[in-house]
Amino acid sequence: MARWEKRRSALVLAGLVTFHLLLISIQVPRGAEKSVFERAVFFVYSPVQRLATGTVRAVGSVWRGYFDLRRVRSENEKLKREAFFLHQDVRFLEDRLSLYRSESELRALLADFRGSVRPARVIGVDSVNPHQSIVIDKGRLDGVAKDMAVCDMNGALVGRTVEPVSLKDAMVQLITDKDSSVGVRSVVANVTGSMAGQSGPLCDLRYVLASSTGGEVGEELVTTGFDRIYPAGIRVGRIFSIEKNDKSPIFRSILVEPYFRFNTLALVAVLGPEPGSGGAK
Amino acid sequence: MRESFAKDVLRAFLGTLVAVLVYSLAGSAGPQLLVVFNAFSVVVLYFSVRRGEVFGALLGTLCGLAQDTFSLGVFGVAGLTKTLLGFWTGYVSRRIDVAPFARNALFMLVMSVLEMTLWVLITAVVRLRSVSWHGGLILLQPVVTAVVGSLLFAVERRVRARRSRGA
Repeated sequence: MARWEKRRSALVLAGLVTFHLLLISIQVPRGAEKSVFERAVFFVYSPVQRLATGTVRAVGSVWRGYFDLRRVRSENEKLKREAFFLHQDVRFLEDRLSLYRSESELRALLADFRGSVRPARVIGVDSVNPHQSIVIDKGRLDGVAKDMAVCDMNGALVGRTVEPVSLKDAMVQLITDKDSSVGVRSVVANVTGSMAGQSGPLCDLRYVLASSTGGEVGEELVTTGFDRIYPAGIRVGRIFSIEKNDKSPIFRSILVEPYFRFNTLALVAVLGPEPGSGGAK
Repeated sequence: MRESFAKDVLRAFLGTLVAVLVYSLAGSAGPQLLVVFNAFSVVVLYFSVRRGEVFGALLGTLCGLAQDTFSLGVFGVAGLTKTLLGFWTGYVSRRIDVAPFARNALFMLVMSVLEMTLWVLITAVVRLRSVSWHGGLILLQPVVTAVVGSLLFAVERRVRARRSRGA
């Protein structure tokens, strides 16, 4: 009996280890593309995450609603919601005004734009590294698909939606993730490059030639739109430092501090396909 | 035999739900907390000591896959490390006495360090790049896991003692 128990334990372990090695072998060549199995696991567990976060939020809300000033709270919520849309409107208008459209055209575009913004709540953060990804409470049923830009309440870029996108939840790859890449340009000197994360609070601005001039510490960076994922003109962050690149003398070493902060990530905006654009995948 | 295995799978699934719940609550409390506190490891360690190696391996698989699915890393890496963590924790705890608080804490610390080492090695091999250390903060994770895990056992022992006194 004891021998059978030992053999059973060894067999279970061998089976599970083989299963995981197979999973890893299948996943590695696929890269960021998620397998059906992983999507299924996400589909099973994400409601638990939603429930936990919802409960915490509900308890907090009850506490504040009843023990704080109730009317002020509801008014604050309304104002927050308005401010949320206004921030998005401003970003959109700034972008579109540069094209010198007529007022009526702008109004029509603004109406379309509002329809394409989906407010979503953050219900989870990456289980390994908080700078990699977050989970939001909007999914396919809310019109969220892969590769949609996500901004914070102030209109600063947060990241993009990636698989798995389930019916009511979606994962968002943050711009601070190591595998993230965003086409950006500086607003004054027009320094253009690709911003990649470091899985930490700062990002790298890559492929800026050492011979190029311009670009100062503190200068704002906005998206170029060349990558066809992030719409042009979204505020991303500011240049944190500019140094010589010792590893590669061809390029400059530029660090960027993103604008978005974790403590303002309770509510985010998922930007749908902009009017007249191709749309998300 | 088959029935007990099915029950173990069900219990492991429930254990994973607890882990996801704790992880979500920790994430709501503060995203940076997740760098030093791995709810999945705590749950795997706690239940593996209580229920043995087979259950530990099953729970490790489910918890590891749940952790993988809420991260952008390679799917299966945490699954593999947690399976081994669960199995070895269950196996060793059946052979040595890990009941005293200090020994329990040390045992959990050793297992957590081994798990983290394995995770770092596999991640480096699979992703061909270094792991984010968060300025060394991530090294506190095994310590926090060991402290929380052994505290759980201490609380459980105290509750049981109080109950038996009451009876």
